[in-house]
Formats: sequence, C-alpha cells, structure tokens
Amino acid sequence: MTFSPTFRSDAHQVARVWAFTMRIFMISDFFILTAVVQPIIFASIAFFLFQVGGDAAGEQTLLFAALGTGMMGVWSTTLFGGGGAIAWQRWEHTLELLVAAPRRYDLTLLGQTLATTTFGFYSMIATLAWGVLLFGMPLDANWPLVLPLSLLAAVIGLGIMGMLLATTFVLYRHANALSNLLEYPVWIATGMLVPLALLPGWLGPISWVLLPTWAVEAIRGAAIGAEPPWLAIAMCLILAVVYYVIARRVLVYVIDKARRDATLNLA
Amino acid sequence: MASTAPASTVPTSTVPSHPGSARANWRIFWNGGQISYAALFNWARPSIYIPTLLGAPTFQILFFAALGSYATGMDPAYFAIGNSVQVCSMAGIYGMTMAVANERWFGTLPTLMASPANRAALFGGRFIPFIVNGFLVSAYGFALSWIFLGVRFDAATLGIIVLAMVVTAFSCSAIGAVQGGLSLRLRDGLFGANLLVFLFLLFCGVNIPLEALPPWMQAVSQVLPFTHGLQAVREAIDGASLAEVGGLIATEALIGLAYAVAAFFLFRWLERSAYRNATLDSR
Repeated sequence: MTFSPTFRSDAHQVARVWAFTMRIFMISDFFILTAVVQPIIFASIAFFLFQVGGDAAGEQTLLFAALGTGMMGVWSTTLFGGGGAIAWQRWEHTLELLVAAPRRYDLTLLGQTLATTTFGFYSMIATLAWGVLLFGMPLDANWPLVLPLSLLAAVIGLGIMGMLLATTFVLYRHANALSNLLEYPVWIATGMLVPLALLPGWLGPISWVLLPTWAVEAIRGAAIGAEPPWLAIAMCLILAVVYYVIARRVLVYVIDKARRDATLNLA
Repeated sequence: MASTAPASTVPTSTVPSHPGSARANWRIFWNGGQISYAALFNWARPSIYIPTLLGAPTFQILFFAALGSYATGMDPAYFAIGNSVQVCSMAGIYGMTMAVANERWFGTLPTLMASPANRAALFGGRFIPFIVNGFLVSAYGFALSWIFLGVRFDAATLGIIVLAMVVTAFSCSAIGAVQGGLSLRLRDGLFGANLLVFLFLLFCGVNIPLEALPPWMQAVSQVLPFTHGLQAVREAIDGASLAEVGGLIATEALIGLAYAVAAFFLFRWLERSAYRNATLDSR
C-alpha cells in the first residue's frame, strides 16, 4: 500500500505538530492539573459516593466510575486545549506566522487538538491507577481486543471535536469563559457518571450529537459492556467526519474574515 | 482657542499628606479595594462573569445533585446545599488570587510596593468585593436549588444561613489571599487556586458526608474553610437556632481569620524578601 507524497507530507505535518504540542503540555502546570490531578480528585469523590450508596452501579461500580471520571478529564483537556488553541496562538503572536505559512493551517490545528486529546488520556490512566492502588478496583476488560479500537476512535473523534471548538470559540472574545461554562454541562449530557436513562428525556437527542457520549460508551462498552461497542465506535468516527467538515468550513470563514478585516491578531 | 489653567489652580488630592492618617487608611481600604476589584479581577466584565460565575456554578450544582442522588440514593437537596455554598470559592479563591497576583502580572507591583500606603489597609480592602461577590454567587446557587432541586428552609433561619454564608465567603477569600501571596512567587498562581477549589469538593463535606471520609481526611477538613460554615448552613436549614450553630460559625470565622493573618504576614515577608533579593517583579 502506497500513499501519495501529498498525504505523506500532510501526515508528517500533523505528526510533528502533535509531538511539539505534547512537549508543551508536559511542562504546563495547567494541563497537568486538568489531565492528572483533577480527574483523581473527581474519581475519589465518585468512589466515596458510590461507597456511601452501596452498589448503585452494579458489580463493576469502581471501574464504571474510574472510566467515567477519566473521560471527564479527557473532555476537560479537550475543552480547554481545543477551545484555546487559536486564542493562545494569538496571545503568543504566532498565529500570523502559522496562517501565512505555505502549509495548510487546518492540519496544524488538527495536530494541536489531537495532541490535546492524547494528553487528556493521561486522565484515564490516572483514574484507573488510582482506583486500583487505593480502592482495590478490579481491572478487567470484557472485550480487550476491542478496547484499543475504542480508545483510537475516541482520541481521533475528540481531537477533531477539539478542532471544532478551536474554530468556533475563537469567534467569542473570551474563549476561556466559554470553556469554564461548558465543562459540567457536557459531563452531564454525555452520561459520563450518571446514566442518560436517569436524566430528563429531552437530553437524549442532545447527547446523541455530542461525540463524548459515544467515546465514553465505546470505552466503557469494551471494558464492562455485555457486547462489543461497535455502534459507539462507528458513531465516534461518523461524528468525527461531520465535525471535521464543519470545523474546516468555519476555519476558512474565520481566517478569511480576519484577513479581510485585519483582525487576525486582535484578541 | 483652548486655554490652560494656571498651575496653582490644578486640583490636588484632598487626602491628607500623612500616609498613616486614619482617613488615608480608610480610603486605601475602601476605595482601594473597589479599584483593585475593577482593575485586577479578570472576570469582572459580564461577558466573563456570567458564564464563569453564574453559568459554571449552575451546572456544577446540577451535576453533583444528579451524581450524588444516583450514587448514594440521598436527596438531591443535600448536594445542592453543599455545592451552593462551595461555589462562592469561584469568587473567593480565584478572585483573591487575581487581586494579589495580578499586581505582578500587570506590572503594577513595584509601584504599589514603593508607595507608603498602609499594608494592612491595602491588603484588607481587597477582601470586601470578593466576600460580597462570593455571597452573591452562593445566594444565586441557593435560589437555583430552591427552584429546581427542592431545597427548602424556614424563613426564620434565613438570617443564620446568610450569616454562615458571609463568614464562609470570608474564610474562603482568606485562603485565596494566601494563594495570592504564593502566586507572587510561583510561575502559575492559578494552579494552586484550581487545586484548592477541587479539594474543597472532596474534603469539606460538600458532596461526601464527613463521616464517610477516612480519619486523616476528616482531620484535614477541620482546618479548611467551608467545613464548619457549611455544617452550620445545613443545620440551620434543618431548623437549628443561632445558639446551636453559633460555635460552628465562630470556628469558621476563626479559621478565616487565621488564614487572613497568615496571608498578610506572607505578603509582608515576600515584600521584604523581594526588596532584599531584587526579585520584586521577577517571572
């Protein structure tokens, strides 16, 4: 199987940006807090609450909670990292250089947001390790061969969702305020810790178009589900394509508008 | 044709020149506190204030009410009350951190340190806007919880609840001031502020009943803000009188005072250290 030189060049660009952004996150106090410390605190809260309540989520309560809080951390990292991706380039005065470069800017942004999500998966490792070490959580996957596929679909999907967040949040002057606002609502609406069946029915359609719903379903399904989560994995990939198309259109509009109005670097 | 006024008519400050006078100190305390809020609190404008200090607490309360009642089978009102009180930390912790640390990031710290202003007045005045702000955010949380989550209380206990909430907002702002002082030295001051806000959720009986925590966590909770104030609010909602919860409110006030004093001395120590080592504005 051979790839065209253009594809290889684009993939190389995404990979280089991904690696560079990962290195930046590894020395960022904020992202270490978001991807490691915060999920551990939320996992502890969830573990204690389920202990208080007995066995509300079934035999695999702790694993259910660990995976849910891990995905909450992934969402937080994606939200803050993706939502602020373009805004940070503005603050660092590198946005003009990136946009003016002969390489495609959407691929640069994709590399950034994929790195954000990849880094976010530290939270999954952190909450699983925390549950095993401190709460004696069993670590078994019902579908171990499907689990890597679920994780891959979740990383790709959330990475592209981060790109959508980056391109839309930049239209709002205070992207970080939007990030602050949207952390809890998505935790609720995607059933990260509370099953959607227990929430008001009108939340259902909203949850279906939110990629984190399917990402957590794909990972949880592979770990503790009765059947392999093929539908959730497929939905992650389908929504990723839809999000990418929207994000690319919005990005073209935003960049064109910023060039026309000479506001590219005006935060 | 424009004319310029003679130099002798240029208005001068009505504040007595002696910087240690009571009037000067009052102005530094009262006016300075308000100005510092407007200038240093990044979230003061509506476009940030509404999503961050009203929107995020709304969903925090709903999230924990849903999670708590699902996981424990307890009444959602229990979690709504805990989180309605805890959301004042958004204003208290982040606000006080910004009110102190942003002097450094906005480049005004050297000017401030060079001024002869009374440090206690300068420092104390910054608390007032954030106590008021924290109380208002908590009051909003309670209104929301009353409408949607079944929180009910006797009108006769409202005064006690308000007192406990104000004292809690003070103690929360006090530990925020400690964090602000530390931020004058740290690379990223908001790391500690974020950490504190999350730790309150875990340690202080906001979501998990204290008796369900391991003994060492219960011990830690006794020296943190919120624990006693929140307990006072819960008992007052259950109908306790001021005599019954007065001890809890007094303990919360003492904890807040201890953090405020610690923050002040930390600020003074950092100031002297910065003079000595020429690190006043280092980053």
